[in-house]
Amino acid sequence: MRRRDYLQNPVKHMKISGKLTVNQLIQQFKNSGSFGAGRLAAACDIYEKMVRDKDCTVFLALSGAVIPAGMRTLIADLIRARLVDVIVSTGASMVHDAIEALGGHHYKGNSVVDDRELYKYHIFRIYDIFVPEENFVRLDFKLAEMYGEIAAEKKGESLSSNEFALELGKRLKDPNSILRAAYEEEVPIFMPAVRDSEFGFIHWLHSSQQKQKTVLQVDAFKDVPLICGICGNSPKNGMIVIGGGVPRNTIQSAALASKKGLDYGVVITMDRPETGGLSGSTLEETVSWGKMKGEADHVMVIGDALIIFPMLVASVTERLGNDFKRVPYFSGSKIGA
Amino acid sequence: MKKNVKPINYCGNCDSHNAYDYPTRMFCSTRYDQNKDPIVDTLWCCSDWNPVSQECHCVREALKEKERRLKQR
Repeated sequence: MRRRDYLQNPVKHMKISGKLTVNQLIQQFKNSGSFGAGRLAAACDIYEKMVRDKDCTVFLALSGAVIPAGMRTLIADLIRARLVDVIVSTGASMVHDAIEALGGHHYKGNSVVDDRELYKYHIFRIYDIFVPEENFVRLDFKLAEMYGEIAAEKKGESLSSNEFALELGKRLKDPNSILRAAYEEEVPIFMPAVRDSEFGFIHWLHSSQQKQKTVLQVDAFKDVPLICGICGNSPKNGMIVIGGGVPRNTIQSAALASKKGLDYGVVITMDRPETGGLSGSTLEETVSWGKMKGEADHVMVIGDALIIFPMLVASVTERLGNDFKRVPYFSGSKIGA
Repeated sequence: MKKNVKPINYCGNCDSHNAYDYPTRMFCSTRYDQNKDPIVDTLWCCSDWNPVSQECHCVREALKEKERRLKQR
């Protein structure tokens, strides 16, 4: 490169005056093009490209506690607008969704609190969110019943994690529920580490009940050909990652195993790459595995997903406008075909 | 000299208790396993009673609630 090639794009300073929509603010961020502002603006451009690309299947990886923190309805709305096609989630995120679907709440709390006192009051803490124990207990009781129903219907046949999510969504009636919206819109929700959540302990409760004739079987290995099939059959694949961990790895590995490689990637995280853990690993590292194409549009936004992701969605939906109707390449009814 | 205080046999002092309708009602996992109604009063108790390993406020609060209700009558 020549010297002048490095000096093509001067930083344009942000101008914040009067009323500003979210997308106008993002455009100001783009003018700066620097640090987190530049990265968030790039993430918005990439997500817009993903949803406008008629050949692209959009995967959303969900980890961390963004559902109890207030992003539940936002995700359900994205599903209903079909601005995401496939969700890969921790079990815990869907547990918190189900808690609210059954009438429970998460409460605004404080991170500086006497946790021994909370323990004595049967209140659990997620940083500055409080969850009463009865939310989990009522969930356990209700879902253990559902597990029994599902097991009886399936007559001992095992389910993939997305079939399990579908069965739960069928039984939850709350329209703001992610599980319910996914069931109605045929958007698969994979939970590769489903056991590592309250869903696993509910299974223990369900299976230990003496009257139980048939025990629910969920087999996460069944997910592998399904998610690889979705990637393989889609001309292009893009992912948006909130956090990382198992959900991110599941999408990336499916992209590799189906010999596709991701075409778009947005990762929102606060983790660091130096530990070698996946939640902080760079997308360039992902390219080295063949999980993402070298020429893929990608960006990693370092920041709190609870701030970044709603801004990203607000900006892109503003750009798309009210009349935009996405026709997704992937349809959940074709899963496993 | 400190006296040994024997815990009162309430569901809310049992190791199988979980909050169901704090503080007055509990979910008993042992009864659930046995196909019995698992929702019990905090101030009830049965023959399977085992002391809880760590103190919580359930019984104290349930007793307060009981007293409050009695006063309201």
